[in-house]
Amino acid sequence: MKKHHTPQLAGVALIAFFALFPFIYSAGDYDYIMHIAITGFFYAILASSWSMLAGYAGQFSFGHIGFMGVGAYTTALFCHYLYLSPEPTNICTEFLIGEQYLILVNPIGVTSSTLTQDCLRQALSIWDGSVQITPMPVWLGIILGTIMGGIFGLLIGLLVLRLRAAYLALFTLGFAEILRATISAEILITRGQAGIELPHLFDNGITLFGHAFTRTDKLPPYFAMFFLLLLCLGILAWLAKSKFGLFVRALREDQDAAAALGVNTTRYKVLVFVITTMMAAAAGAMQAHYVGIITPNNLFLLQMSLVVAMAVIGGVENFVAAAIGAIVIEFVLEMLRNSFDIGGITVDMTIWRLVIFGILLMLTLRFSRNGLILPLIEHFTRGHVAKETVAKRAAGASS
Amino acid sequence: MTNLAVKGLNKRFGGLHVLKGVSFEIDGPELIGLIGPNGAGKTTLTNILDGAIKPNSGTVYLNKQRIDQLPPYEVARAGLGRTFQVTRSFRRMTVLENLFVPALALNRGHSREEIAQKALEVLEFLTIDHLRNEYAQALSGGQQKLLELGRLLMLDPEIVILDEPFAGVHPRLMEVIYRYIERVNGAGKAIILISHQMDSIFTLCRRLLVLNYGDLIADGIPDDVKRDPAVIEAYLGADEEESNGEQGGRAQS
Ligand SMILES: Nc1ncnc2c1ncn2[C@@H]1O[C@H](COP(=O)(O)OP(=O)(O)OP(=O)(O)O)[C@@H](O)[C@H]1O
Ligand SMILES: [Mg+2]
Repeated sequence: MKKHHTPQLAGVALIAFFALFPFIYSAGDYDYIMHIAITGFFYAILASSWSMLAGYAGQFSFGHIGFMGVGAYTTALFCHYLYLSPEPTNICTEFLIGEQYLILVNPIGVTSSTLTQDCLRQALSIWDGSVQITPMPVWLGIILGTIMGGIFGLLIGLLVLRLRAAYLALFTLGFAEILRATISAEILITRGQAGIELPHLFDNGITLFGHAFTRTDKLPPYFAMFFLLLLCLGILAWLAKSKFGLFVRALREDQDAAAALGVNTTRYKVLVFVITTMMAAAAGAMQAHYVGIITPNNLFLLQMSLVVAMAVIGGVENFVAAAIGAIVIEFVLEMLRNSFDIGGITVDMTIWRLVIFGILLMLTLRFSRNGLILPLIEHFTRGHVAKETVAKRAAGASS
Repeated sequence: MTNLAVKGLNKRFGGLHVLKGVSFEIDGPELIGLIGPNGAGKTTLTNILDGAIKPNSGTVYLNKQRIDQLPPYEVARAGLGRTFQVTRSFRRMTVLENLFVPALALNRGHSREEIAQKALEVLEFLTIDHLRNEYAQALSGGQQKLLELGRLLMLDPEIVILDEPFAGVHPRLMEVIYRYIERVNGAGKAIILISHQMDSIFTLCRRLLVLNYGDLIADGIPDDVKRDPAVIEAYLGADEEESNGEQGGRAQS
């Protein structure tokens, strides 16, 4: 049997390209292009993990954006409400842990800061700079967000065990909407539509390759998100070619038949939920720190549709195709933002680009159900199968 | 030695009493035919033995292990495998991948190479090895039936229940299925064969169970069963019409 290495080589070339891109690219819109790339990586994590859940395992969940939000809000709340201080404030709820006090800031909602201050701000103004408080480490927030995403994934996974197809889609959609509504309504804690500000990914700057970067430089978050994407793709690749991948696909095809052949379908259904929701939560947490604010608007259904569309246009049954689809579409959507004039009529592309995107999605679904990138990959990996079958049949007939 | 002990199985679907205290026992590598008119409860009995549905009362022991409350995957691992009346292949997975599923689910510590080798041998035996890398959905109906048998060969259970393996199958493929039955039975495994094709049943089976709307009305060697007045009245006498009606029913499913 002939082995085809084209997809692997293309993969290595893509990784090398994105690893070198920030050093090669030097146009005036550097920060803007880097921002699109980071956002593209973020969507690539969502789309590829969703493709494992929906494309491989057949669990068409519309809650993925909700789990992304769980990750983002977990780290946001963690960094917003917890601080370490060497001195007690005596007004906040606080716990002595070793040498330090863990300060739990009281929620004040969205009020003018001159009227009400939270207990920590009051303490700080009393101390007048004599005490240095420490915020929570960002990486810990991201890890907690990831774990929280997994816990929510486990609960939802258990709840949808007996639901199939359309009911599962509706249930998970309900979950995401309830989460968004709750966050919007719980203004005292989540600050509602005002959103919660988060410390930047590298709030104190970072030195990389002998160069000191500030917290607003794009290169460090670029690589942070890029490595998170590579980590997720690595895990997905490993899962896909292990028996996990085989079993979840069997689950998608026929749950009862898989069970009759010895597959613990319950376990794999829950597992695939937990793993993919953790990825969505990790991406959400990191993106929230990169952007510096999270609001309930980030959890809109529109965002979910975007993720689904990216995966579908790339190819939902292959997580690499979904990831590439996400990055390409993020770039194309941004590039299409430039409005233009035709004979005195201004075409507002910020709106029309979504129409073009929708038409592309419909055309893909109608004419290329496997997406636009997956057929390319299949061409190289499975192109020989038909020839092989015919050859074998001919050989069998003549013997 | 394989032992399956079924005691007093009752199953109701709402008001419908589908199995009425069914009891029988299988000892060793028997080849048993399970017959009965459409709606007699044969598939329901299969589903209960395989753990897919739970009985309202009664017990099933496989080699002294109680299996009637176990989930299907544990029943499969305990040594009972089945095919489905309406084929259920993993359509968008290749033929080889279909065979890997039970082999890896059992986790008997075989390497991937060993499993792949076994799979190829099985496919050759079933005469569909040229299709190994095709998606199962590219297979014909009859070939998909063979694929299901292939998966069972990989699972290699102590007892196999074949639900209508001959339905819609060309004589040439029938030959292959016959060889499959010989191979599995010859290897010391028990087989329960559900079929409306009386010639196959009488050629292959050394013992018959007759189910008639939930009642097990006969259990014995084919010659005795053939002459049993209750069986003749319920089933065999109406053989011609039965098989005609059955054709129609099959076309729907
Ligand atoms: N899930 C179910 N819910 C309700 N009734 C059911 C269910 N499954 C089977 N039945 C009923 O139980 C009876 C027995 O069905 P079963 O499929 O076991 O028959 P069978 O002997 O396999 O028939 P055939 O020869 O047509 O395959 C039928 O009357 C059927 O309608
Ligand atoms: Mg039946």
